[in-house]
Amino acid sequence: MKLSRITTLVIFLTTLALLLAACPAPAAVPAADTDAGAADSGAAGEFKVGLVTDVGRVNDRSFNQSAWEGVTASAEGLGLAEDDIKYIETQDAKDYADNIQQFVDAGYNVIVTVGFALGDATNVAAKENPDVFFIGVDQFQGETLPNVAGLIFNEDHSGYLAGVLAGSLSKTGTIAAVLGTDLVPPVVAFNEGYVAGAKSVNADINVISTYHPGEISQAFVDPEWGAATAKQALDQGADVIFGAGGITGNGALQEIATADGAGETVFCIGVDTDQWNTVPAAHPCLVSSAMKLITPGVVELVNMANDGAFPGGNYFGKADLAPFHDFDDMIPQELKDLLEETKAGLIDGSIDTGYGN
Amino acid sequence: MATAFPIASLQRVLRALFIPALALLAALLAGAIVMILSGDDPLAAYSGLFQGAFGDGKGWARTIRKTVPFILTGLSVALAFKVSLFNIGASGQFVIGSVFAVAVGVNFEGLPAFIHLPLALIAGIVGGMLWGAIPGFLKVYTGAHEVIVTIMLNYVASLFAGWTVYAGGTQGQTPGPLWDRTAGAISETQDVLASAQIPWLFGPPYRVHYGIFIALAAAILIWWLIFKTPLGFEMRTVGHNMRAASYAGIRVNFTIILTMALAGGLAGLAGGIETLGLNHKFAPEFGGAVGFDGITVALLGQTHPFGVLLAAFMFGALDGGAATMQFESGVPADIIQIIQALVLAFVAAPLIIRMIFRLRQQTQEEAASAVSTSWGGS
Repeated sequence: MKLSRITTLVIFLTTLALLLAACPAPAAVPAADTDAGAADSGAAGEFKVGLVTDVGRVNDRSFNQSAWEGVTASAEGLGLAEDDIKYIETQDAKDYADNIQQFVDAGYNVIVTVGFALGDATNVAAKENPDVFFIGVDQFQGETLPNVAGLIFNEDHSGYLAGVLAGSLSKTGTIAAVLGTDLVPPVVAFNEGYVAGAKSVNADINVISTYHPGEISQAFVDPEWGAATAKQALDQGADVIFGAGGITGNGALQEIATADGAGETVFCIGVDTDQWNTVPAAHPCLVSSAMKLITPGVVELVNMANDGAFPGGNYFGKADLAPFHDFDDMIPQELKDLLEETKAGLIDGSIDTGYGN
Repeated sequence: MATAFPIASLQRVLRALFIPALALLAALLAGAIVMILSGDDPLAAYSGLFQGAFGDGKGWARTIRKTVPFILTGLSVALAFKVSLFNIGASGQFVIGSVFAVAVGVNFEGLPAFIHLPLALIAGIVGGMLWGAIPGFLKVYTGAHEVIVTIMLNYVASLFAGWTVYAGGTQGQTPGPLWDRTAGAISETQDVLASAQIPWLFGPPYRVHYGIFIALAAAILIWWLIFKTPLGFEMRTVGHNMRAASYAGIRVNFTIILTMALAGGLAGLAGGIETLGLNHKFAPEFGGAVGFDGITVALLGQTHPFGVLLAAFMFGALDGGAATMQFESGVPADIIQIIQALVLAFVAAPLIIRMIFRLRQQTQEEAASAVSTSWGGS
């Protein structure tokens, strides 16, 4: 009696499973075909590029996304098939090595790993697989391996540019920075550059820099703290605020966007990517963003790998300010010129941000 | 009687497995529906998942590697459940265990491995036990509920762990005591000395270490403790009815503190094994998420040590195959977390499962299953 009931249940479930399986049948067939195709082309030795994200999604509107856009752009430039580029989204920091290994086993030629946390796993894999090129986004290379390029940035340079902009825009003589944790060096570099840049245009300027007090896993995903800290800075008279710290910084930008005088007397500056595109809610106050140009950096490195001229060691990507977008008319030409001069000075070394000295 | 016993116990085992198995199945089906709704192909995804978890030696290696911490954090939560205690602190206990183990592992150069490694593992257990005992003490002496205290201690644990490896030196601040001075601006410890590393059972690229045997032994030990010792009897009695246990002369307060300490010790051991066997160092990103999954594993395992083994293996396979699933089918690996969360929902709410699969009303015996008593008992 009881058994027959279970049997019925099993039959019911099997039928259900078959029905479910039948539904996407049209999609299933091409998927199987492409898989076989990918395996064939692997044997033929075509050029394939894989990407392993840091913990998080590939469309994080930040490093992962910028790096993946670099991979897709270079694939387009090199005429690679859609199947020759793939990514794996890391779920757990312990899986870095496994996820890199997936691409190695599948015969990929270039593997992009995103974030300084993947540095160790990347270098270990690079030593085991000297024929594979590795691009480590945000990974400083202590030793030079011929098949690893660490795509790194002078964060203090883009922070410095943001500081020059903020110091020039400020009427109150007080500016602020809302920052992710000082456990992560690039955040500190952004801030030090920002302070130095602001002081270069106004030696008496008051800079309120606040780091998130929490642990790493909290510091970049705490928009409430970012908003509250930005509010506090506004109350203390800051009229330009630099939000640098992932979603935490975005919280600050959004808070300022809703403040009195946003875009007229109060401004905000984003970080890493052009946040005009990634945080639309910040449009009312967002004059610019202190960018790390990851996408073009990845494209350059993938192309060099393809040409057989891969540069091992550290590879410096460009630091720059994002376009002013709607605020373009508000920025005086003298300031634009000053920013261009500053950029040139930072590149040729005539301007020193003071970071790391 | 003698011949009837094995059949009766087999039936009991099958019945105990029934709801969890259906919950897993329902979660996989629901996951398939989510995939169809988002335009993905569940067949390709699940075949990629299976291939990633069991397809080759590396797949099995991943699955086993992922299973180890699930077994121990699952046991931690399950043991507390037996005493009607809800240990949400396995995450913090795991982190403290990692820190204690690594603190011993990076020091004491020159100790032979047969002393150093056990010492480091014991340090992990002790760290977890201390961290677990705190909520036990607070419950007994102040009445503070262990759920609240363990949750709060999770934050304290990860902040404490972050401080121990804090790379403040580059900014002129005091660095954490365990920070690796050669790591520059990165907050992490140095590698544990070779004499404190758990040896590989299968070396790279498989990276399976002997920790799996420690975890299996722990499961047997906990089963023996709960069901075969007077102490275990006292624990279960306290779990069923605290007042009756007290009238019967059982030291209820002692049992509660001891259970929380042991639960913490198991989670701490998990942290120690992960640190000494796999990561070989501690960094803040090796957090204790696996401690939260321990709750699901314990419930899926019906809070029985051997059930926990099965459930941990299931979760190990899901996590082990996730990356390959995404690689082969393009379905985001997040779907695995959705499935795991659904498993928790279905297991914690057997009524839903009974409704979905139109099962009969539960029997009296099943009504007294672990989950319901654990909430009603206190």
